[in-house]
Amino acid sequence: MTMDSDAPEISKTPPANAATYFDGASSRRRAVTLHFADRLEISDHEQTLAAWDYADIRRADSPSGMLRLGCPTASALARLEVRDGALAAELVSRCARLDENTPGRRGVAVIVGWSLAAAVSIVAVVLFGLPLIADRLAVLVPEAFERRLGDVADSQIKTMFDAKACDDPAGQRAFVKLVTAIRESAGLDTSVQSGVLSSPIPNAFALPGGRVYLFNGLLAKADNADEIAGVLAHELGHLKHRDSMRGLIRDGSTSFLIGLLFGDITGSSALIFGSRTLVTSSHSREAETNADGFAIDVMHRLGRPAKPTGELLLRVTGKEGKGLSIISTHPLSEDRLARMSREDRSASGPPLLTSEEWRSLKSICDGKPDPAKKSGPVKI
Amino acid sequence: MNEMSWPPQVPPGPPPMPVPPPMPVAFSGSRGEFFDLAKRGAALELVTLGFYRFWLLTDIRRHLWSNTLVDGDAAEYTGRGKELLIGFLVALAILVPIYLGYFLIGIEAEHYQAFASIPLVAFFYLFGQFAIFRARRYRMTRTVWRGVRFWMTGSGWIYALQASLWGLLMILTLGLILPWRAAALERYKMRHSHYGDLQGSFEGRGWEFFKRGWWLWLLTPIAIYISPIAPFVYAGYKAIEWRWWLSGIRFGGVRLESSLPKSALIGLYWKVIGWMALLGLVFAVYMGLCAVLVASMSGEGLTEFFKTPELMRSIPLLVLAGLGYLVMALAMNVVMRVYLTRDLWVTVLGSVNIIGIEAAANVAARGDLANALGEGFADGLDVGGF
Repeated sequence: MTMDSDAPEISKTPPANAATYFDGASSRRRAVTLHFADRLEISDHEQTLAAWDYADIRRADSPSGMLRLGCPTASALARLEVRDGALAAELVSRCARLDENTPGRRGVAVIVGWSLAAAVSIVAVVLFGLPLIADRLAVLVPEAFERRLGDVADSQIKTMFDAKACDDPAGQRAFVKLVTAIRESAGLDTSVQSGVLSSPIPNAFALPGGRVYLFNGLLAKADNADEIAGVLAHELGHLKHRDSMRGLIRDGSTSFLIGLLFGDITGSSALIFGSRTLVTSSHSREAETNADGFAIDVMHRLGRPAKPTGELLLRVTGKEGKGLSIISTHPLSEDRLARMSREDRSASGPPLLTSEEWRSLKSICDGKPDPAKKSGPVKI
Repeated sequence: MNEMSWPPQVPPGPPPMPVPPPMPVAFSGSRGEFFDLAKRGAALELVTLGFYRFWLLTDIRRHLWSNTLVDGDAAEYTGRGKELLIGFLVALAILVPIYLGYFLIGIEAEHYQAFASIPLVAFFYLFGQFAIFRARRYRMTRTVWRGVRFWMTGSGWIYALQASLWGLLMILTLGLILPWRAAALERYKMRHSHYGDLQGSFEGRGWEFFKRGWWLWLLTPIAIYISPIAPFVYAGYKAIEWRWWLSGIRFGGVRLESSLPKSALIGLYWKVIGWMALLGLVFAVYMGLCAVLVASMSGEGLTEFFKTPELMRSIPLLVLAGLGYLVMALAMNVVMRVYLTRDLWVTVLGSVNIIGIEAAANVAARGDLANALGEGFADGLDVGGF
């Protein structure tokens, strides 16, 4: 083992063409001299250690004030280190392809170009591809699997809202009568399950696998059976269009793709959240508008007016005002009421429930403390 | 930005002593150069929507490695951004089916009991530990010094299993076992690390780590309530950990030693907090100006405009807020990289002494390159570790 007497950072009048060489096979540091023949000859005293073709020499990373060279065709890790400025300049002038492996301006431009292409492609897939895929896939998902999903969501929702099914017999009879009338008019089979849950939140929702739930809080705000009938018809519309399955596929993959796009920039979670909200709520508004249309049709077929449902919605949410609606998952209540009024027809069929039945339905959850005091946002 | 580079540049003159060089470890990079690198990287990250991160990470490592001189010879990082990108894509191809399987198993579990799928998260912890091990292996095999590379053997899965079992003990002991966990895991990693034909080992003991840092464990619950002391606690913990970790590293006869004081990193963390506060203030002022601008354009009176919910719903204001937020987030990235990557590296490096470096003067090259899959997983799962 020989240590060189001169430490490399101290340059004391070295012999011309002096350099340091590591052969890539051992970590031994050798003081070498360079000869510029038709190849670059690296020699230790009389012995030639290596000869590199000028065209094969590439620059390697080095600290400032030093030129470090490698020759991938000779040995992957062999390194030649030159600290003398004049010698380094000579080497640079002889090795024409020195910087071929270093990504320069062009390399960065290529990265930027491909990144933008990837971003455009992801955005296009999110905006146009995923809804299409979700539409096609949702119908292919087996009913049994969808029912499983529904079971999971069912137990989670009951735990989360601490909600129990209400089972006052008279109320239950009225509810079944109402749902059956709407279900038959909507053309859905008997696999649909439905119920009233005791929760103060004025809301109703459809779960995958054919379940429709009405929270007691919404019943408390309703003035007549038509209002509730429209809401149930709306939820059955979601079932008919399999919106929850579609939403699951679409929103799940949207979140995934957007998360992928923004990567790990600090604070990107806010960006991911923001853009995901924009995309998924636009899909959601579309599904809600379709379900409203479905509800209007069903009510007309039953010979009942659709307008009361719109009035109920407005009563629950209050005026939502104009302005930015692109981040809300539902169309504005005013717009929904306006549409239901516009397409409204006066009642031509018999009432769906007698006033006796309506009173029983309103009190279906009685026997428990009255929860209809608080109110929250409506998601119908 | 103050120009601080370590060690102070030696003025040209007659060499004071021929042998040995006074500092076994030195850093030669300029702070300005790194700042430019981080600035440019942040701008490119913005333009490429984050895809540039693979190349920025590579550039940062190349800068740090190639300016780190050990016994007078600079190290070299031979990894490339493209490898990280490929590793990320492969990791993604593996993670997507796993996420899907996780989803399906989760549904089955939830079928029996609501929220029963939560323990499945433990699986991702295991995966994250695997990623940490494999990422270290990638970085090791891309580190070259004196024309010889570092390399690593060992199994990522065995490591992940050990780390997860220790993780379980961490929960049971409320984190008190952390020093022994760190020692055991580091022993596994270092035992399977090599420089050429020199085998690595780790001599740090959990007990030493515990002796130096037990009071931090007591302070942590207090720091959660009194947040101003949290940076002190964290900086103290990091300093103790760095010193203990470095002082335990061995490669054959080469021994590392660190004299990093407990207070060495406190300044860095407070500087970052200061910059964050400043950037937050600038952002708040910017938002205020934007609101006034948008209000005056809308034609209504200022007070009218601020009273209505219109303020929250105006699209131009939201766009301006989004832009300002992006610029602020990227500026924060630059601040963190300059202080918590570069300055931290330089500070820690300045505390290192190497004993028996002669043993590394004639080491035979060995070992193969590892792929960047681990780095890809670490990126995809958002785990970090060194």
